[in-house]
Amino acid sequence: MFEPAAIVMANFTAPEAIGTTAQSLLLLLPVVAAIAVVYKATKVPTISAGNFLKESVVLFCSIVVFMVVTALVLSGVAWLVLE
Amino acid sequence: MSHRQSQANPWPHMFLVGLAGWIIPGGGYLLMKEISRGLIILVTIVLMFGLGLYIGSIGAVDPIGAQLWYVVQMMSSPLVAIIGNQTAGGGYPVYGRPNEMAQIYTSAAGLLNLLCIVNSMYLAYLRKTGPVEQ
Repeated sequence: MFEPAAIVMANFTAPEAIGTTAQSLLLLLPVVAAIAVVYKATKVPTISAGNFLKESVVLFCSIVVFMVVTALVLSGVAWLVLE
Repeated sequence: MSHRQSQANPWPHMFLVGLAGWIIPGGGYLLMKEISRGLIILVTIVLMFGLGLYIGSIGAVDPIGAQLWYVVQMMSSPLVAIIGNQTAGGGYPVYGRPNEMAQIYTSAAGLLNLLCIVNSMYLAYLRKTGPVEQ
């Protein structure tokens, strides 16, 4: 009877295996999504599904684009320093 | 910011809203009948915190070895102390990347909830007061 609950609880008592790979950078996306949604939930005067979704997606994309640009600039600087 | 006035003291209501928002993420908005806003915040912060615990296990909530992270995690809800009580003995060790990711997720959830608490208290203040008539 308690087996499903025990399985769910067990998932929270042992860490997942995450390597230091480029793919692990994708774990950034859920954080950015949560930040965009919560921030917009505090800022939008009235919440309607379409408008709220649009505002959140725009903020999400803005943050991701900004971080990609920042990463490219830092990579460029590192390349210039090392070459 | 313009001056505002109120016939009643707004601070007890603001404190209640802030406390509700701390105990349950989005609770401050729910108390002010901002149901959709409160539910969005509740679901998002709980999911984010839960995802952090899934990635790094409950060992990422470490009141002994990572006190500063723990303080920020506690901003999500005082219920985090229950997890901290379980992990304080060091029975759920977690190291490296999973630990970092879990602490980032859970701490970001805490900071977002702090933003929501402050914002809901300000909203409560605005509702309890009016602009000073010139």
